[in-house]
Order: sequence, then C-alpha cells, then structure tokens
Amino acid sequence: MATSQGNDSDMDCSDNEDCYDDYNDYYNDDNSDGEQLDMSKTDPEYFDYKCLSEEEVERLLNETVESLSNRLFISPSLAKVLLHSHEWNSNEVICKYKENPQQTLIAAKIDPPTPSKSIIVTSTYLSCPVCITTLNIDKFIKLNCTHMFCKDCWTTHFEVQIAQGISTAISCMAKDCVVLAPEDFVLKHLQHKTSIREKYQHFTFRDYVKSHPELRFCPGPNCSVIICSREIKAKRVVCDKCNTGFCFKCGCDYHAPTDCQVIKKWLTKCADDSETANYISAHTKDCPKCHICIEKNGGCNHMQCSNCKHDFCWMCLGDWKSHGSEYYECSRYRENPNIAHESAHAQAREALKKYLHYYERWENHSKSLKLEEQTLEKLRTRINKKVMSGLGTWIDWQYLFTAANLLAKCRYTLQYTYPFAYYMDTGPRKELFEYQQAQLEAEIENLSWKVERAETTDRGDLENQMDIAEKRRTTLLKDFLDV
Amino acid sequence: MANIAAQRIKREFKEVIKSEEVAKCAIKLELVDDNYTELRGEIAGPPDTAYEGGNFLLEIKVPETYPFNPPKVRFMTRIWHPNISSVTGAICLDILKDQWAAAMTLRTVLLSLQALLSAAEPDDPQDAVVARQYKENLEMFKLTARHWTNVYAGGPNVNPECDEKIKRLIDMGIEEHQARVALSSYNWDLERATEQLFS
Ligand SMILES: [Zn+2]
Ligand SMILES: [Zn+2]
Ligand SMILES: [Zn+2]
Ligand SMILES: [Zn+2]
Ligand SMILES: [Zn+2]
Ligand SMILES: [Zn+2]
Repeated sequence: MATSQGNDSDMDCSDNEDCYDDYNDYYNDDNSDGEQLDMSKTDPEYFDYKCLSEEEVERLLNETVESLSNRLFISPSLAKVLLHSHEWNSNEVICKYKENPQQTLIAAKIDPPTPSKSIIVTSTYLSCPVCITTLNIDKFIKLNCTHMFCKDCWTTHFEVQIAQGISTAISCMAKDCVVLAPEDFVLKHLQHKTSIREKYQHFTFRDYVKSHPELRFCPGPNCSVIICSREIKAKRVVCDKCNTGFCFKCGCDYHAPTDCQVIKKWLTKCADDSETANYISAHTKDCPKCHICIEKNGGCNHMQCSNCKHDFCWMCLGDWKSHGSEYYECSRYRENPNIAHESAHAQAREALKKYLHYYERWENHSKSLKLEEQTLEKLRTRINKKVMSGLGTWIDWQYLFTAANLLAKCRYTLQYTYPFAYYMDTGPRKELFEYQQAQLEAEIENLSWKVERAETTDRGDLENQMDIAEKRRTTLLKDFLDV
Repeated sequence: MANIAAQRIKREFKEVIKSEEVAKCAIKLELVDDNYTELRGEIAGPPDTAYEGGNFLLEIKVPETYPFNPPKVRFMTRIWHPNISSVTGAICLDILKDQWAAAMTLRTVLLSLQALLSAAEPDDPQDAVVARQYKENLEMFKLTARHWTNVYAGGPNVNPECDEKIKRLIDMGIEEHQARVALSSYNWDLERATEQLFS
C-alpha cells in the first residue's frame, strides 16, 4: 500500500492510497480494522464515515493542497485549481502534471488553449478595454493569457462576480477567454475589502466541498457539518449534530434497498402522477364487514373495527387472519399474465393499476411512519405520568422507546421496498423479494400492534417481536442491498 | 461604477454608428434617454433565413454595473424563434447570461443576436412550443417564422393561407394575435387550434 515518494517513474494512477494519508488520521483513531470488517459482514447497512466541522475539513483540504504544492513545486493557489478540476484526486493531478504539465494547465483553464504570443508593449500608456481609460502600463495586469486590464477593473470584476455567488469559476474579462482567476490573484485585488474576501473564501470552500467526492454537506437546516467517507456508497449517514440522516452517495433521503437512480426515477414519477394518485390520501375507509366509517389514527395497518370488532387490513381490506399466515400476499402485485395480448388501452390501464398498487403502499407506510411518531409522543406523555406517580422509573420504560424507534426504522425500510419492487423484472428474484417483503410487512404490523398496546403487552413478548422484525429487515437488506 | 457604464456606452454608441454593419443597414442603435441607461437596437433579419427582409427592434437596458454585468436585452418586435419567447421577447443567449465578458460591447451583442437568428439552438430553448416545432417539423417552423416576420417585422413574404385561417378565427370572435398564436402552436391545424381556444 505504501507508495515510494521518490520513485516517480513507478507512479501508478490506479494506486489511490497516496492521497489518503491525510484521511487515515481521521479514520483510525477509534476503530481498529478488525472491528470494521466484522461490522460490515454482520450489518448490511454498516458504513464508515465521520462528521467533521468546517474547520476540520478546511484543515484536511489544506493538507492536501500543501502536499501537492510541495510535490510539484507549484503555488498552493495553483494546486487548489488543479485539485478542484480533478475532484481532489492528488494522484491523478500528479500523473497528468508529470506527463504533460502544459496540457494539464490548459485543461484546468490556468493557461489559454493556444500559447499566448508575448506582446511587445512599446508605449508606456495603455487604454483599458473595460473602462476605456488611458493609464500608465504599471496599472495593468493580466492572467496567463494576453488580456491586459487595469487593476481597478479587475477589482470591480471580482466584486460583481462574488456578489453573485461566483468564486472558483471567475474568468478573464476578455471575450471568449476561458482562463480562470486563481485564488491568490483574486485576493490580491481585494486587499482592503474584508467582507468581500470572507465571502469569496466562503464560496470557494463551498465549491471545493461540492467537487470533493468524499465530502457531503449535511442537508439539515442551518447545519454546517460535513460528512466524510472514503467509500462513495449509497449508505445511510446520520449527522451527529442535527441528527439528519441521508444517503451518502446522492445526498437525498436514505432509500435502501432501492438504489439512487431508481429512487430518483420513482420520486419523479410520483410527482408527475400526483393527481392520479390523489384519491389515495383518504384517511377514512369503510369496514368491509359492517360498513361503518373507520378513521385511521395510528400507524398500524392491522385495523379492528370499533363497531363489529372485525380484524381487517387497511391496505387491501382483506381479513387480517389471512395476513398472519404464510400466504400473506397483500404487498404483492399480481400482474395479468395475458397483458401482452391486450389492447393498448387495456395495457395503459394495467400499467396505472400496477403503479397505484405500489404507490398506495409506499404512501401508506410513509403516513404510518408519521402516525407512529404521534403514537410515540402520546406514549411519552403517558409514561411521564406513570413515572410521576411512582410507577417505575424512566429506565424501566426505556424498552418501549427502543421498540418504537426500531419500528420506525423497520417501517422506513419497508416503505422503500416498494419502489424497488415496482422497477424489478418479473422472475424468481422478484418472487423471493416479494416473499421477504411480505414477511417483513407482517412482522412490522405485528410489532406496530404491540407497540400501540405497549403498556399491556408483555415485555418479553414485545422484545421477541422486535428481534423478529429486525432480523427480517436485515435479511432482506443482506440479500438485496446492492452496494 | 455607474460612471464607467456611461463612459462605456458613450464610446460604444460612437463605435456602432461608425461601424460597417450600420453602413450596410444590418444593425442600428439609438439612445432612448440622455443618461445612457436605455437604448433601442435594431437588427435586420439575416439573408437566407425565415427572418430575411424583417427588421427587429430590441429594448436594451444598461445596468449600473455595466460592463461587469451584461445589458438586459429583449425583443420588442414579436418573433417566432426557439430561443426567444413568443410572448415576452425574452432571449436565451449565453453571452447575455453567464458567458458575458466585460470586454464585450453592444456591437458584439447585436451581432450575436443576428447570428442567433441564423442559427437557432433548439436544445437550449426559451420558448418550448417553438422549439418543439423546430425539432419535429422544420418546414412548418420556417413557414410560421416567415409569417410572423411578414406580419410583425415588415418582411415581404405574405402567406395567404395563414391569413385566411386567422380570418376564420377572427370571424368566430377571437382576437387576431391570439388566433395567430393558437394556429402557430398547432401547426396551422385550424380544427385543433379552434378546439384549444374554445376549451
Ligand atoms: Zn479598466
Ligand atoms: Zn484572457
Ligand atoms: Zn447536520
Ligand atoms: Zn442515494
Ligand atoms: Zn365493522
Ligand atoms: Zn392487506
């Protein structure tokens, strides 16, 4: 793994270890390698990452910049431009630069595409093409291209660009010139403008983090934490400051077992078809037996009619008894096997029916999650009362909260199994998936039923159910989470 | 800053007036007020395009931060073009947005707009309806653009068939421009245009 620093002829672009030296400090301080390996084997969602502050990330980036600048004998400012244009991959920069420095500088827009002819300036006065003022030549400056502008115009140019949020992409003022202004050049022209300098540095930092594949800003509101991981995988990360969880790869809500592209496709589809699916948002349905109107006010989909005590499933309105068995098929969509021979109109109707089946379940579990959050709040109040009146301590009742949190985690995964199933090709793999999904769903509803009646349920019984549900969830993820 | 803007516009105005394009009547520039914050541009439709023979008026507003920011330009003459809104005259052109450079001038802008009339970029549309027609039915697009040039920009190519269809809609109580937009949007299919107007 160690790269010999002195022997450049042996440089290998594929060897990425070199530039990770900085990171190792951040990773190795509390986890031994053996422990990590173990975790990733038993927990399909295990992911190694760190929550860093802006200062820590700044230090991290500066170390990378400094080591590159020492390695290639270039200024830190130039090193930053090169790193930024190569997704902060030091080794790639080093390889390219050693192979062809000119081409590397052109590609990074430091040098113009065609070498600039050195212009021989004969007079001591020049007219600035931007402000059309004639000034002494020493008032002029240029980037690595031939385009001379007066210093005041450069300053104004930078002020205007920074005010619009542009920083690493500020270029020369000439027509069709792509040469970029590196950090030291910009800062030199903003010497006495503290607030603009700060803004500029804030924006460049933001650009650097965004171009760095191993760094992600926490999407939580007003949170400045940056999550850092060496592996770029679609796994869950949770900010240790604001508790926001998201997918490290795409930055959106975590979506296992569905992958980033599929969930994007699904969410776009849902947004496009929102009107068609609107009728689903009903909160009331009629009891299939006595037809009294039942309102859903908990997350559990195992309903019991308040009037006739009939147990039924909120999703399919089927008898709940059939749901507990091996034949639990509420989650599966049964496709019409002869659909290929039907008319285009019938196929379109079938497609909509299929979509609605998955959408309905996706939406329903999302709602259940919210309702179960309310259940948890109510539970908190009730337990508070119990503790106040001397019925045990908070520690005694802790297991109930653990159960509620586990329920939320399981239902969350269950929700995201629906887009996964929707886009799956029919076949034995889909059958296996839907079998496991049905099993998971059944255990989650059992758990939900027990959590809603937590205080009267036997603790051992509840903990047993928790264990079963979580095992089902992990099994499904182990078999289908493909990252 | 505002001082630079005025100085520059003064200079650029002279530059355009003296330019060979003005001599050839391809572009024109006029001042609207005395403080150089608003101008009126004019470009001739390029030869061998649907816009040939037409003259297109432009509203040019000079921001205080000019030339560090681009001028704000809009077509005042109605035009049928994928990169120009048929409703507002707003333009989608890179040099009027992020590709602007402080060393560019109003002359550059006018010539670039003229070039845009010769070479549309339907993949970066301002007007989705026009862009779709351009990509799916180029002949229909040319016919429509020529008709608009005739009606709004003084172009020479009269199309009696278009005029006749518009007249039919006017007889049904539709306002003329509204009728033209509906027919243009539906490839001059009178039935579909009527349906859309009365739905
Ligand atoms: Zn100047
Ligand atoms: Zn330049
Ligand atoms: Zn956060
Ligand atoms: Zn993702
Ligand atoms: Zn009932
Ligand atoms: Zn069911």
